[in-house]
Amino acid sequence: MQAEVQSGPVEWEGALVQRAAAGDTRAFERLYREHAGRVYGLCLRMTRDPQLAQDCTQDTFINAWKALPQFQTRSSLGTWLHRIAVNVSLGKRRRSSAVAEAPPQDEEGDIAGEWVLETPVEVRELETAIEGLPEGARDALVLHALYGYSHEEAAQMLGIAAGTCKAQLHRARRLLRERLQMEVN
Amino acid sequence: MRITQQLIGTALATALSATALAASRNFEKVVPADARGVVEISNTAGSIEVTGWDRPEVSVRGDIGEGVERVDVASEGGRTQVRVVLPGHSGRDGEATLHVQVPRASELHITAVSAETTVAGVQGLQRLNAVSGDVSTEIAGSDLELKTVSGSVKVKGHGQSARLYLSTVSGDVHLEHGAGDLEMSTVSGTLGVTLDAARSVRVRTTSGDVSFAGKLLRDGSLEATSVSGDLNIRAGADGGYAYELSSFSGDLENCFGAKSDKSGYVGHSLSGTLGSGAGHVRLKTMSGDIELCDRT
Amino acid sequence: MSAPEERKVKSLAELGGAIQPPHDLWPRIEAQLAGARTAATPATRTPLARWRWLAAAAMVASIAVGVWIGRDLLPLPGGPATGSPVAGNQAPPAGAAAVNAAYISDPRYVRERDQLMRSVQERLQAMPPQTRAKVAASLAVIETAKKDLESALGKNPSNALLQELLINTYQDEMRVLTDVHEAGNAGTGI
Repeated sequence: MQAEVQSGPVEWEGALVQRAAAGDTRAFERLYREHAGRVYGLCLRMTRDPQLAQDCTQDTFINAWKALPQFQTRSSLGTWLHRIAVNVSLGKRRRSSAVAEAPPQDEEGDIAGEWVLETPVEVRELETAIEGLPEGARDALVLHALYGYSHEEAAQMLGIAAGTCKAQLHRARRLLRERLQMEVN
Repeated sequence: MRITQQLIGTALATALSATALAASRNFEKVVPADARGVVEISNTAGSIEVTGWDRPEVSVRGDIGEGVERVDVASEGGRTQVRVVLPGHSGRDGEATLHVQVPRASELHITAVSAETTVAGVQGLQRLNAVSGDVSTEIAGSDLELKTVSGSVKVKGHGQSARLYLSTVSGDVHLEHGAGDLEMSTVSGTLGVTLDAARSVRVRTTSGDVSFAGKLLRDGSLEATSVSGDLNIRAGADGGYAYELSSFSGDLENCFGAKSDKSGYVGHSLSGTLGSGAGHVRLKTMSGDIELCDRT
Repeated sequence: MSAPEERKVKSLAELGGAIQPPHDLWPRIEAQLAGARTAATPATRTPLARWRWLAAAAMVASIAVGVWIGRDLLPLPGGPATGSPVAGNQAPPAGAAAVNAAYISDPRYVRERDQLMRSVQERLQAMPPQTRAKVAASLAVIETAKKDLESALGKNPSNALLQELLINTYQDEMRVLTDVHEAGNAGTGI
């Protein structure tokens, strides 16, 4: 039933995708306007560099334009764009930083949950805390807790094992707890 | 004789009133609806008038004409459908006048052929499609997609930012007090737009004239292209803008004294920067005249 | 009202994903789209893939106009208009045959566009007469625009403005045909 309620906007987007895949740049611009914020937000949080994030956003949409004729309209366009954005961000980050991060240690415990804060925190403070996380933990946290992907989906997008992603999420939670000095449930 | 005349008169009156009854029937139905659900309305001919209200219900009242079989109103799973149903053999002659009240935050989808459509007080996303019926709506911060073939379009905003997509083949479009992102296209209709605060404006016409007056936000962009339609643009911007005007054979005019440049190819171009050049304005035509002013 | 950064949230999900870029990135993206896509996907039997290919082919065809049409091979403005993209009373000079072939370089595009046009004509019959007349007038406007642009491009083949406007016009024609085609469905479910 929920899928039915959402089928209106998805149909609209599907029509735009078809037009854009056929070469209609105006239709593609509308898709850009719809998704630019979330793509840029993902790029910015992954790269931590506004200029790099803008380049990443541009490259994401250009790559999407090239690949759009192969996109299956039944899938979520947003998820597809985020996959591209993650790949682009990882590539840009690798080129600008040669230092590899140590893998996290395995941690036990369930990682599911809504990442609720013990007390309300200012957006700026929370974004700063997320920005300060190590790359792997930050990537996993952004995809899982901000963008709503399961840890398996996030792992696939990041090209890492599901277990590694889970460990990164544990690490993110522990570090956030330390930085914000409060429980993150 | 008199009695015969009276009988004939009575029979005639009865027949007429019976015909009148068959020609027009009242209709009324109320169904519960989600406060933020989707409401879909379709009507071939007649009119559709939609207003938003604060009840979690969809109310449909109206008159349905002779060619209409019935009006279906059903609500399930957050979606309410109002459909005027014509008998299979009737072609598209049935008319219905519908007055529909929907929860204010509803997402509204309307499909009309020649029915005139009016929307007021609806704050959710609107998708309005009409063939030849005129469409008039208000927007309040939610996105609007409006397509007509030949019907005219009137959109009234209240300065709240939204994404607006207006497309017509030959209908005229009039938008006032819009804001946010706007995309408009027409072949031969005229476009008249006032925007309170534009982030991006994309306008395309083949032969219709475009008249725009409004303010660009800092970093805002305005792009209008036409083959033979004239572009009359009055765009102000706090951060100024870089402008590029080019036309193959149309005239380029401006109110700030800049002179156009032939640039070594056939045609005219005019480019420069106003203020700090934070935004940009690009206007292109083949033979239509272009006029740009930074005062609204 | 507090600034966005001062807003307080109780969960990470409330942060939301979206952050608007500091500048509108679309102009830079758009500038790189032309030519970014490789050869159009071959047409399949499905209507959706067909329209997709058709519009892409329209872009290719219109660029072919700008590249291939040589000077003075098109009639002067005001010459006779026919249904053919390249019109003229006199026999075309040598090389014009090659130009014709290049311009109508994609017979699939011509065939598919004709089919869409026929379908639209059928749907128009079911529309109110005034609408029919307005749509026909608008399609005629587009046809005139194409001819005027092609004629101007014939004398100025490297003019980027004319090429862009011609591509726009081809795209607008496809948009109109598609919108009218879809509008013809309105009321069929009623």
